[in-house]
Amino acid sequence: MILGLVGCSYRTAPVELRERLAFDSGRLEAALAEISARYGCEVVILSTCNRVELYLARLSGPGRFDIELFTEFLAEFHQVRVAELRPHMYEHHQHDAVRHLFRVVAGLDSMILGEGQIAGQVKRAYEVAQKLATVGPLLHTLFQHARFVAKRVRSETGIAQGHISVSAAAVDYVRQVFDHFDDKIVLVIGAGKMGEMTLRHLRLLKPQQIWVTNRSPEKAEAVARGCGGIPIPWEKLDDALVQADIVLSTTGASEPIVTLERYRPICDRRSRTLVVLDIAVPRDFDPRIHDGDRTCLFNIDDLKHIREQTLHERLRHVPAAESIVEHEQRRYWKEWARKRHGPIIARLTQDFESKRQAVERQLYQRLKHLLNGQLTETVWAEIRGALRLYQNQCLHGPISALAEEGPGTSQHTLLEALRKLFRLHE
Amino acid sequence: MQLPGVTTVCFAASYALALGLELVQVLWPRQALRLIALLCGGAGLLAQTLFLLVQVPRLGLESPAGSILLIAWILAIFYLYGAIHHRQFAWAIFVLPLVLGLIGVATLAPVDDPSDTTWGDLLTNLRGEKFWGLIHGGLLLLSAVGVCVGFVASVMYLWQAHRLKAKVPPRQGIQLLSLERLEAMNRRAIVLAFPLLTAGVFLGAILLVQRSAQLRGWTDPRIMGACLLWLVFAILLYLRYGYHLRGRRIAQWTIAAFLLLLVTLASTHTTVQGGSP
Repeated sequence: MILGLVGCSYRTAPVELRERLAFDSGRLEAALAEISARYGCEVVILSTCNRVELYLARLSGPGRFDIELFTEFLAEFHQVRVAELRPHMYEHHQHDAVRHLFRVVAGLDSMILGEGQIAGQVKRAYEVAQKLATVGPLLHTLFQHARFVAKRVRSETGIAQGHISVSAAAVDYVRQVFDHFDDKIVLVIGAGKMGEMTLRHLRLLKPQQIWVTNRSPEKAEAVARGCGGIPIPWEKLDDALVQADIVLSTTGASEPIVTLERYRPICDRRSRTLVVLDIAVPRDFDPRIHDGDRTCLFNIDDLKHIREQTLHERLRHVPAAESIVEHEQRRYWKEWARKRHGPIIARLTQDFESKRQAVERQLYQRLKHLLNGQLTETVWAEIRGALRLYQNQCLHGPISALAEEGPGTSQHTLLEALRKLFRLHE
Repeated sequence: MQLPGVTTVCFAASYALALGLELVQVLWPRQALRLIALLCGGAGLLAQTLFLLVQVPRLGLESPAGSILLIAWILAIFYLYGAIHHRQFAWAIFVLPLVLGLIGVATLAPVDDPSDTTWGDLLTNLRGEKFWGLIHGGLLLLSAVGVCVGFVASVMYLWQAHRLKAKVPPRQGIQLLSLERLEAMNRRAIVLAFPLLTAGVFLGAILLVQRSAQLRGWTDPRIMGACLLWLVFAILLYLRYGYHLRGRRIAQWTIAAFLLLLVTLASTHTTVQGGSP
């Protein structure tokens, strides 16, 4: 099998170039059909915001793919000058190509280490190619194996653990305080863009009510409409703080809106724990109100700190993930060799088996004659066992050589040699 | 405390192993470790159940060793239940030290010469004062379990509050239930334990009056201890429902009540050997 990939990623190409090389769904299908027809090979195109890669495979042919041809194709297809494109392109062949795909699908080559989105993107790229019949048995096996690798890496290492987004981290903190949310009130202060994603995450918790307050009643109304909440007058902020359970603050105020002095009487009137997610910059709440018991305040730095810690934690799992990728890469080629050489090995074994059985029959007749019927079942079983062992030992060498031989032209030589040596005809 | 086949060492070792594995799991998270820990805990519970089936009639329920081992057994069930239902949380790290501590105290507790009483003898002789004595002991035992559960929930609460105060990332270190859940667990344990304790103390007082010859007056440590414990419980409930005390403060009060329970148990069993109440 000849396998190759050509492409560029955030590591090698600036975003301006990646944007120009990106395939939208219509152009993706056209490109797949064009490559498959023009070069007579299997092809999958992986096009995301961080990478554009062409995975190519064919059963036999000259040594390796001429990557220059595909670079020219990309340049022509996207109307980019080849000279402009070439310095940013990378190529991988055979083992390296498989290793690269497995690393990509496991999130090891992602901008955010261990992110899970890429596995879905690889799956979709494969499905599009499958729909257009530009994948055959070669890339089918490879991409199925890649899916397995992604699952294995995610489940056996901590590479995908923890949250990278600030909003998901905020929800994680909230869950440390509250157990259920159907009796909780979420109070949104302000209408900052930063808060939108966090509010979306908080809404997934299905709180009893969402209250929205803003200095501008119109803005409060607009945000409340967007999230199915209730607008609250700005003047009633203190009362709302007494009743709320979770506060999401995203105002653009230049001074803290809730100082320690303002918060003390509010806290005295409260009977439950209050979680404040202050993602405004500058901060809306005085950090001194945080006590980890009655009031839990988390600001943007705390939430970003989680992101950094998560990434740091994920880095620890890279060696384990790389080791899985390496192991699976070897296993992929072994399985491929087994599948590819299965008929030859079966033919070889069958040939040896029938020859052994013929020898056994002859030997049995001769021994029976020589020993005048004194040949016992036990002795005959021993002899048969020894012949079978000899057969297995004879076959072990050639079969192992086939399995161990990597992909490439030399394998065909070995295969031919075996066919000629043992006079095997498929 | 020796019994051919199953001894306190068997189940204590199983629980200790489960605890050790849970601690390793915190540093080196592996689901397999938690599963093995669970199996060790289950084996320990089975061994303790077998041990109690044989030993309780011989030691007597009212003996310090017997009653403490029974409390430890109920808490071991509590541990196993929590470990199965809250697999992602470090339940064992907080419950098993208490179970092991109680087993340790039971091993050190004074033991009368074990009799040859069987469950059959025990049930046959269960009438009159003995029956009420058993009810009294059972009520106090269940209230003690409530205090222990409240204690565990309070320790977990303080730990979680400490994590939140220090803003430890949620998925880092020992994972625990939410503050809300822990506070509810503490509240339920105390609310259930208080009526049991009240009934137990009341029944005990009646039994003591009937056996006034054995009583050393109102300064008898058994009366003093039980009354003091009841008073602390009443204060605890008042603080929660009357004074609306909550969070860290109520957790600290529950821990104090638990410590008082230990002192009461120790003082009643060291000053007066055995006997109920």
